[in-house]
Amino acid sequence: MATIGSTARPRVAVAKFASCDGCQLTILDLEDQLLEIVSRFDIVEFPEATSRRSPGPYDIVFVEGSISAPEHYDQIKELRKQARILVTIGACASSGGIQALRNWADHDAFRAAVYEHPEWVESLATATPVSDHVKVDAELRGCPIDGSQLLELLTAVLVGRRPQIRDEAVCRECKRKGIVCMVVARGEACMGPVTTSGCDALCPTYGRGCFGCFGPRAGANAASWSRGLQKAGRPPEEVWRLFAGFTAYAEPFRSVVTELGAKKPAPAGPRR
Amino acid sequence: MITSPAPSQAAAARQWFLARGDLNSLIDALKESGRRVIGPTIRDGAIVYDEIASAGDLPAGWRDEQSAGHYRLDRRTDERLFGYTVGPTSWKRFVFPPNLTISTAHRSGQFGFDQPNPEPPQLAFLGVRACELAALAIEDRVFLGGQFQDEDFRARRSAAFIVAVQCTTSSGTCFCTSMGTGPEVHGGYDILLTEIDEGFVVQAGSPGGAAIVAALPARRPSHAESGAAVDMVEAVRARIGETLPIPGLAERLKLQLDNPRWAAVAERCVECGNCTMACPTCFCTAVVERSDMDGKLAATDRLWDSCFDSSFARVAGGDFRARPQDRYRQWLTHKFSTWVDQFGTMGCVGCGRCITWCPVHIDVREELMAIAPPVPPVERPVAVEPVAASPGSFSIARVAGVKAETEDTYTVSLSDMDPAFLRGRPGQFVMIALPAFPAVPISISRFRSNGIDLTIRAVGPTSTALTNLHPGSKGGVRGPLGTFWPIEDAYGRHAVVVAGGVGLSPLHGLVDALVANRDRFETVSLFYGTRTPEDRLFQDDLARWAASSAIDVAVTVDRAGPEWKGRVGVVTTLFDKIPWDCSKVTAFVVGPERMMQASVQGLISKGVPPDRIVISMERHMECGIGLCGHCQMAGRFVCKDGPVFRLNDLGEMFNREGI
Repeated sequence: MATIGSTARPRVAVAKFASCDGCQLTILDLEDQLLEIVSRFDIVEFPEATSRRSPGPYDIVFVEGSISAPEHYDQIKELRKQARILVTIGACASSGGIQALRNWADHDAFRAAVYEHPEWVESLATATPVSDHVKVDAELRGCPIDGSQLLELLTAVLVGRRPQIRDEAVCRECKRKGIVCMVVARGEACMGPVTTSGCDALCPTYGRGCFGCFGPRAGANAASWSRGLQKAGRPPEEVWRLFAGFTAYAEPFRSVVTELGAKKPAPAGPRR
Repeated sequence: MITSPAPSQAAAARQWFLARGDLNSLIDALKESGRRVIGPTIRDGAIVYDEIASAGDLPAGWRDEQSAGHYRLDRRTDERLFGYTVGPTSWKRFVFPPNLTISTAHRSGQFGFDQPNPEPPQLAFLGVRACELAALAIEDRVFLGGQFQDEDFRARRSAAFIVAVQCTTSSGTCFCTSMGTGPEVHGGYDILLTEIDEGFVVQAGSPGGAAIVAALPARRPSHAESGAAVDMVEAVRARIGETLPIPGLAERLKLQLDNPRWAAVAERCVECGNCTMACPTCFCTAVVERSDMDGKLAATDRLWDSCFDSSFARVAGGDFRARPQDRYRQWLTHKFSTWVDQFGTMGCVGCGRCITWCPVHIDVREELMAIAPPVPPVERPVAVEPVAASPGSFSIARVAGVKAETEDTYTVSLSDMDPAFLRGRPGQFVMIALPAFPAVPISISRFRSNGIDLTIRAVGPTSTALTNLHPGSKGGVRGPLGTFWPIEDAYGRHAVVVAGGVGLSPLHGLVDALVANRDRFETVSLFYGTRTPEDRLFQDDLARWAASSAIDVAVTVDRAGPEWKGRVGVVTTLFDKIPWDCSKVTAFVVGPERMMQASVQGLISKGVPPDRIVISMERHMECGIGLCGHCQMAGRFVCKDGPVFRLNDLGEMFNREGI
């Protein structure tokens, strides 16, 4: 491991499964820090940035995207073998992403609706998070991830400490920033109470309710928040929609989505 | 301007009147003194505290409507500037910032840590309410009252110039009246404003405040204006009322750590921590390290933290408060109970922010009333004046019936007697005599609508004669005599009745009373032991009680034939099945003295407090009223000081042979 004073640059790979590449773009968006990053890390694989390929092993593998196609099973296992530290980036890799909504739907009907020749498309009936298949060392949440959290993780690897990524309600960031609670003061819907922090309350800062893209924080009381939203006059369909977002497949959001949609998710593919 | 004392009477009398249109002169004067003015202003549908440039930024003509989980602004019918209560911001934000860099570290060259020098912003707080002044005073105790002090807080707090405002309105979540923190402002300010119809009654509370006031375009208030200022605040007090009974709450909460309500409220709580963030006194923080990529520069930031965080009490081996109910209990008991142990006051000022800003509408007032309700004052009944209270006089009673309980024990029902006997209390006794038979003391085993029952074991001449009476016979009675069961000692506790043999007789009326008032006790139980199954008294009642959900009955016998399907063993073996916290047990014990000694020992070893064990003693009695001298037990007459005693009233005399 590279520690303080070491001159060896850790080898970094960025890999992608079913995803929109937004999290990879967040890395490229760190324009002020990019030179610092490449001077300290040897980024050897990064399909969004370069077509240069380099085989493992790697010190850090950042994984974007959910496991959604048959070939992903072997690919993620191979990556895990090559990675000293495997970090998922974004809602897709960490919780299945928006595409995990198909876990509650008819996969064949979806394919038939979207593709002229669905038989040419080989995709799984479920989209599942990377942690369902291999051991994950750290998760950077969000759709997309937060650049500061990525920098903190990289810094922590260099310094040799655990990254300081807090797991607290988005409400806490709102309150520290002095943002007026829109649930209480304006009767608007917000996923802040059950969603983990890390975005610096990005949406509430701009007057919009949190849509839960960072996913549930540990032990989130999603059942109570679902009841609370309904008690405040939100119809069950709207509450379902709030939970059935980018992190719908992450428990305990998954239970609320299943309950309100009155539909169980499809059995997921092979697990680790 | 920290800790400005309450103004003297003379200073309080020095009031000024400032027209509403002239409030800018105050704001300008504060700015000219080199301060930024922080005050109420409307943002995102709420009245927040933020920097204000002029009186035009104040929420003129707005009021706030608040209830659990609900806050809305609404127009007033007037143009008052301070016609609202408290909003989401507290002054904590400005004396105890939510994010603060508390140290930096460097590795270039010499390794070292640096602490930033606190150079506080010069701020004037405009519109500080009574509850908020109380919150600042609590923070003073937390941060400055102990051996180790928070210098950053001290600097910010000392620099703050405080313009307080009397509350002339209230909201549905206000409970300062209960907490003793408002609505009236008493000291702690530099300038105090009371807003009345046309403007402000102004008072200075410090030399700095007086200097500013002196420069305002103010005049002396009229008598009516001064009077209006007082009346408006008094009206607020009346409107809020006292919704939360505080006396004794801190102690009551400590007794409720196992209350099932903690789990119930945790089902609702989403642990967002908004209550702790909005609270003006919550002071817990986390430290977060930042560093640059080469590890040469690092900084430590202090953030507002919350005890509702699942990681708040975590250590490497696990989490000390792993369940949400543990965390809710920590917060509420800290605010209303353990804070007193730490800092000498409660941690709550009754501002109601935790109620308003809870997204799932949890109201601490409701929770406190459900978890630790005020205990109604216990009224100790007084014994009825006994009838025929001299050794030679008797009142006549008729025998209504005689019922065999066991081979040698009978219940004699008396009726057509003086109504005073019916007003006796469980545990009392009568002296009963028949012509030519000496009077004997007999416990009242039951109170009926038209008489009383005496359960009598035929062991001597009088008792044998009594059990041989036929319905319609008459006897002479005196009473009711002696002390009675202090049933109030078991209110809110587990009432346990322990009876041995005929000892159930003086307890029968007590069991009836416990069952009749079942709601006042946590649980009611009867542990009854006899020598054989045939020695059980009141078998019909035992069966009825055993079938009732109001009382748990456990019976054991010393020995039995094969037809006995119940327990065998002495009564103390039943104690092993006590499932409760025995510190919350009140026990009533009667039986042969050896059995009582063993029972008392057993109960104390299980943790029952000695002052919550009540016994009834038997002694030889000739008169029953403290004249004959037979029943003395050390310094006490069992007939009139007893027969019912709390164990610690007897002290060493119980459990001692030959007394």
